[in-house]
Amino acid sequence: MSPAAALPAVSERERALLATAELWASAGYDGLSVEAICSRAGISADAFESLFPNVEAAAVAAIEVPLAAVVRIVADLFSPDRSEAESYAMAIVSILELMAANPAYAYVSYVARRQVAPSGVHSVYASGHRFLVAMLERLWEGSGLKDQPGCAALAALGAAEAVIRREIVAGRYERLPALAPDCVYIATVPFLGQKEAARLARATESLTENRPQA
Amino acid sequence: MNAEQRDTLLRAMLEELVGKGYGEASVERASEAAGVSAAEFEAEFDDMDDCLFAAYDFLTERVVAKASADCDQAAPWPARVRAGLESLLQAVASYPEMARALTRAFPGIRPAAYERYVGLLSRFVPFMREGREYSGVDEELPGEVELLAVGAAEAIIFGEVDAGRAERLPQMMPEILFSILVPFMGPERAADEMRSAAMSI
Repeated sequence: MSPAAALPAVSERERALLATAELWASAGYDGLSVEAICSRAGISADAFESLFPNVEAAAVAAIEVPLAAVVRIVADLFSPDRSEAESYAMAIVSILELMAANPAYAYVSYVARRQVAPSGVHSVYASGHRFLVAMLERLWEGSGLKDQPGCAALAALGAAEAVIRREIVAGRYERLPALAPDCVYIATVPFLGQKEAARLARATESLTENRPQA
Repeated sequence: MNAEQRDTLLRAMLEELVGKGYGEASVERASEAAGVSAAEFEAEFDDMDDCLFAAYDFLTERVVAKASADCDQAAPWPARVRAGLESLLQAVASYPEMARALTRAFPGIRPAAYERYVGLLSRFVPFMREGREYSGVDEELPGEVELLAVGAAEAIIFGEVDAGRAERLPQMMPEILFSILVPFMGPERAADEMRSAAMSI
């Protein structure tokens, strides 16, 4: 697997979506307007209207860009040649590299969409969240542990997101991949126990140290 | 304005934010509720944002104080975490509008406001440090384990507040406790603490 790079922003649609994410990240959802998006993307209002019925539709589509990339990463990295937990570790590294290479999309994915968003955006976010929670819950099945609370996967995901958000809010996007070992630990410890989670975190550390730069 | 009026104004401003949204929140209505004149408001705050940020700081101080006030400092760390969590969840359930202001309405204003929320979560990190002494493995725990534990609890609390189910949170205390303890103590011992906490409800 190669490190994630910046998502393309070549076509008018891609430029409009990146502009939407950048404006949303810098000025909040209320700062989005057709005029501001068009000006930043270098497209006409007619072009915008041919792509999206309104600003909310552009915001929903902008949230779907990183979500689709995350789903692709997860799908690509699952392999029968390694354990499910190891696949997760590799996916976490790749997702954090993706976010480091795409700051505006990282901000809207982890911060903006959670705080102020219309229902359409919230719905996309919720489905993405459910997908990741369901992934983690699969670890539970093989763990042999019986007394897991129902919210363990949600909490593990939220724990990882808290450290990711802190770095994003501080503008330290380049540090996101270095969080991968800690994220792997928290994602797996409720299901696999401390010893195995620590082993996976160490393995992830070696993985990130040996990664070529994007 | 006196201290009581100031407290009422700050609370009313947050209620405006939650009830009307940032764009429609009114300094005039909040001032009226607190019995504060326009001149008194202007003597204390530059504008609505200045007042909102002061209100948020006031609220976060109270939340952190509440979470630590009921902890018996002589008790073992897991028991202190449980006591602090219990107090926090009771407060959130009793004041759901303030909880919404704390977690969603204010942080959503703009990136600078969100930084305050991140700062609030960081305030709980020192309370977690002692958890490292309870680790069941010889090797060092992750560098971020304290914030991970805080983030686990926050994710559940945020979800319930956002869904309008803040009143359920005190009943969820054992599960949230598990999520805080598990990175430090592992799933078996965290589950023991969860079961013990469930028996107290």
